[in-house]
Amino acid sequence: FVPRRGGMGESWEPADAATVPLLPPNASCWVPSVAPQDILYGGVLRRKLQAGKCGAALDFTKQLSHFFVDHPEDAFGSVGRLLHQNFYLGNSKLKVSVCPAVIMPSPTPHLAAAIPSLCPLSSLQRQARDCTIRMTALREGINRLEARRGCSRRHLVPRLRWFSHLSRDWLFEVPLGLLADCVHEDLLLQWTSLLFDDSPTGGALAWLPPKDVGARTGCLVYPGGQAMNHLCILPCGVSLGREGRGHVALPLAATPDFQDVVLEELPCARGSPAQFELNGRIRQVAAARVDGEDFVGVRSDYHCGVWRVSGRTGATPTPLQVIRTSVPASCLTVSPHLPGELAVCTQSGAVYLWNIETGLQRLRHDPQTMFFRDHSPWRWSDFTAHPRVLSCADRTGLQCLDTRAPERCHFDLFKVGEESGCQQGERVVLPMYVGRAYSSQHLVITQFSVYVLDERLPLVPVLKWVHMMKAPPLFAHLTPGDRGRSHKVLLGTSRTQELLLLQYRGEKRDSGGGSRSACQLAGPPQKLHSIASCLQHLPTQVPHQHCLLQQRLSAPAAGLAAALQEDGLRESLLVFQLSEAGDEAKRSQEPCASPQPSPTPQEAKCPQEPIASPQPSPAAALRYCHWMNALSKGCGEPPQRTRPPTFGQKRLFTRKELEEPSAPSALHEQARRRLRQAMRDGGCIQHWDPPPPALPQPLELAAGDPDPLSIRLTAAWGWDWERWWEERTSFNMAQRQQALRERRRRQKRARGRHSLSASFTSSITYQSELSELSDNAPLPLSP
Amino acid sequence: SSHEYKLNFKKSKEMCLSYIQDAMLQKQWKKAAEFLTFYIESLEKDFSTEYMSPSEMIWRIGTEILCHHSHSSMREFNFFTEQMKSLGVKRYLKVCLEHTFHLLCNGLIDEAYQNLSLSESWRFGEQTIIHDKEMKLIKAYRGLLDYYNWSKQKNILLEHGQDGFEDLSVEQEMHGCFRKAALNLREIITVPGVWDLFVKCYVDLLEFYGDHNEARQVLNEYAYNSKFPANPNAHVYLYQFLKRHGESKKSLISVLKILHDVVPSHELMIDFNIMLQKSKKRKRRRLGLEVIFAVLDYAGWKENVKAWSCLARQVKQIVISEKHLDWIKQEWNSRKDWWPAFHFSRYSAKRNWQENESLSYEKALVAGILLGKDCKYFRYVSHQGCKAQVKRFRRLKKFVNKHNPVYLRISG
Repeated sequence: FVPRRGGMGESWEPADAATVPLLPPNASCWVPSVAPQDILYGGVLRRKLQAGKCGAALDFTKQLSHFFVDHPEDAFGSVGRLLHQNFYLGNSKLKVSVCPAVIMPSPTPHLAAAIPSLCPLSSLQRQARDCTIRMTALREGINRLEARRGCSRRHLVPRLRWFSHLSRDWLFEVPLGLLADCVHEDLLLQWTSLLFDDSPTGGALAWLPPKDVGARTGCLVYPGGQAMNHLCILPCGVSLGREGRGHVALPLAATPDFQDVVLEELPCARGSPAQFELNGRIRQVAAARVDGEDFVGVRSDYHCGVWRVSGRTGATPTPLQVIRTSVPASCLTVSPHLPGELAVCTQSGAVYLWNIETGLQRLRHDPQTMFFRDHSPWRWSDFTAHPRVLSCADRTGLQCLDTRAPERCHFDLFKVGEESGCQQGERVVLPMYVGRAYSSQHLVITQFSVYVLDERLPLVPVLKWVHMMKAPPLFAHLTPGDRGRSHKVLLGTSRTQELLLLQYRGEKRDSGGGSRSACQLAGPPQKLHSIASCLQHLPTQVPHQHCLLQQRLSAPAAGLAAALQEDGLRESLLVFQLSEAGDEAKRSQEPCASPQPSPTPQEAKCPQEPIASPQPSPAAALRYCHWMNALSKGCGEPPQRTRPPTFGQKRLFTRKELEEPSAPSALHEQARRRLRQAMRDGGCIQHWDPPPPALPQPLELAAGDPDPLSIRLTAAWGWDWERWWEERTSFNMAQRQQALRERRRRQKRARGRHSLSASFTSSITYQSELSELSDNAPLPLSP
Repeated sequence: SSHEYKLNFKKSKEMCLSYIQDAMLQKQWKKAAEFLTFYIESLEKDFSTEYMSPSEMIWRIGTEILCHHSHSSMREFNFFTEQMKSLGVKRYLKVCLEHTFHLLCNGLIDEAYQNLSLSESWRFGEQTIIHDKEMKLIKAYRGLLDYYNWSKQKNILLEHGQDGFEDLSVEQEMHGCFRKAALNLREIITVPGVWDLFVKCYVDLLEFYGDHNEARQVLNEYAYNSKFPANPNAHVYLYQFLKRHGESKKSLISVLKILHDVVPSHELMIDFNIMLQKSKKRKRRRLGLEVIFAVLDYAGWKENVKAWSCLARQVKQIVISEKHLDWIKQEWNSRKDWWPAFHFSRYSAKRNWQENESLSYEKALVAGILLGKDCKYFRYVSHQGCKAQVKRFRRLKKFVNKHNPVYLRISG
């Protein structure tokens, strides 16, 4: 009797207190991905909705209004141009009265243009009033609404309602209903991808182990560049940092259609070939070794490519073939059996076998899922122990297809359901053929569990383990253990950056024949450091930068790879992690505490400190410093693309005003002169003060006592303000009392005038109110 | 408010759980145990409607911690499981089974047996289907332990039997064990499922008492009942049983034929091929060729000398006799587009030659016949072989050169 779990696994100790950055940070600025709060309702409504227990509420109106603000040309372009005569953006009232002097601030030139002339032709004015909408007032209304958002009883200003009612049908370039549908659809898409994004499934990081047993330089294949669209192949290992840079453009010439997948022209190498520029974000990098050569498959949304990295060290990777898909591809796997063979799946439900020499063969095209209905278009395909048999997966299970007769020959390998003891709602997240460990076994990972399946005993999992990770693991890596040692499986999640190491022992064949021990898990699973865990070991930052750094380090993971290194007795597992922010491929090294399943006798031998002292080694600390420096250098400077905002002048001034005067005025002349003078002297014009304009004659005040404001204003005009203030502050008490009495009397009189003027124009009332206010102001100030 | 309280409670519960998880994943069992004592409070107000209830969680986590904690003892484990049994009535049988397994792992077989028989007598309310299944499992495991006792006593008896000493009481006890074991094992075997362990024990029991018909029936049922999941082991057991009892070749071949259809890459296929090659019937020899070709399709067999020598021998036979070349042609037709890259590349020639000379010899023979004397694999290996002055490679070269027209006929 052997339990399914148990046995001592190998115990691995982390070499460093946290992950260590391997590559310099991606210099191009990383745009943080959408966060839930960006597209969800905040505030009252959300709380209300939460109380009502209906999931997440998308802030649809906010997004739509963002759209209107960010893309006004698209939303209102031509209609806006047609109608812009009839919108008035000035501040003043559009009221036209008999006395033109009452219109105090002169209307903007815009209006002046809109209304043919301001001459007191009343019929014209009435026409203007009738067909012009004062946008300022509307905007004020809207702002007021905004301010009162918290108020439970919101009244729509009738005018607003009237306006929206009137203009709803014709104001928008795109019919509002259609636009709203599109925005909502996109919002839903964004939200689902935020909840679970399956595009990076498989991971965009691959490790090509060293070719010869003795050599220690493998290759790391990862995406880089501004949009993660550069494929970088970096020889690494002992000789870190040898990195060639060069760019290869991927042409977009299409050859005749082949269903929905098209063969494309090759990217040809130019310059140093360790880096290739592709025209799409790299979603997945898959690699396999056949006959001593590594084949690297690269998947972006609409393109898949394959490279060959030949066995000789220093040889350049050669691009072999590229295909283009009309529907995003969801999977690309490289055959471990035959050179230049790959499996491709698209979101339309098609599965292709792609051979470099013979081209593409479509094995299946079925938009429906296999065992029961599931809405996800995600498909996956991998190879099996038989080079001509492919496994196909969707969210509901796995099937094996014979490529020689895909319609007839297939059998079910895994089904989400009773046989496998699945939970409700369980779905396949990542299947993986683990031929390197045992030639007929597959790993099937769901959001809850990990299953080990054997092709020969389909439908009944050989092993099941509930992984309890917070997010569905999208990346997996298997390091086979030879000579009866356990196989090490690494599981990684994207959004939460979790990393789990578990070990299992496969079927063992005893020499006696017949008797075999079943699959069993070895030892408890272990958690490995995530990228974000190195934050505390980085040099201290100012809070603002610390925050940015935290955001960057906790970006979703994009890939996972591992390499086993043997160095005499000491063994170490290098784990590489790639984050979505770019090149932060990190390394966490774990020397094996006990290479044999025996308990830990070798722990003392590990030179790297064990978990007891969570301090990074000096070498790691140095790496942190370097990385930080590179990050601040790369991302500290402001991006070059953003230009200072510019304004179109056309809207502000009429053509007439923009016209250069035929003869330069005296002022112009003077300015030019001064400029020339300054240039000759090599000095600079410190303040551009034109000669003071002729002072307007101080107003001859009408008889009667002048109010203090007028005095003050007059003083200000006449550059005499300081003296006035001194005079004012040096008033003695009696004078002040006198002034008070005076003022009261005056106020009484003013009130009489006030009521009179109120009937006249409101603007004057406003002014008198203002004067009263400023009148009161100096009093409390005086000592 | 109560809603808020619930929310806070839930939040802190989840946090506690994640702390426990973290500690466990970093092998800090002591810390995990401490957190678990706090988590037990979550039992008090169990609002969750989730898949796994807190009580189940506590059971699972607790068991895990006790398995690894440095200070835990068997006594503590037993105490904990008893508590867990009373905590969740619905899970009673599951906990019992887990407990039994733990006891077995620690070599406490008698205690495990007691535990099983105790739980067998457990009753609670109405029997549900799940309980029924679990009860059957418990009975089956008790049957397994009975079988274990039986075989122990059998060994004692056999040893004593050699001394000419008979112990009636031991024999009686052994028969008692047999009866109990047979009863329980038979019951579980009728339920569809993968019961390799139980079936093997049951058949062993029956065989000992000479009930071959019953054993055969059980094995047949296990292998051919369509309600059972397709299980290659079932066919293997049947084959081994038939072989033990010296059954006719025909029945053996029919069993292996079915196994070939289910799992073409099974190890027994080598035996099958050898058996078929020896046969005088043409049809069987034809099947033999099919079988060995199919075996070599699989990546797991790529470097198996035995399989390659089987194929080489049969191909050689056919070529020498010059009869049935069309068999090879047919088999080769579906493989000629990928076998050269899969098996006969220059890289694999190099590697095979370096690692396993006899493998490269067998493969070179097949390659020479199937692909002609100009194929990369054959040329490399024969060249190396002649250079190293190995006689058989020289003979091989002669043979292939002589029969080169065969290649033209196969590929033509």
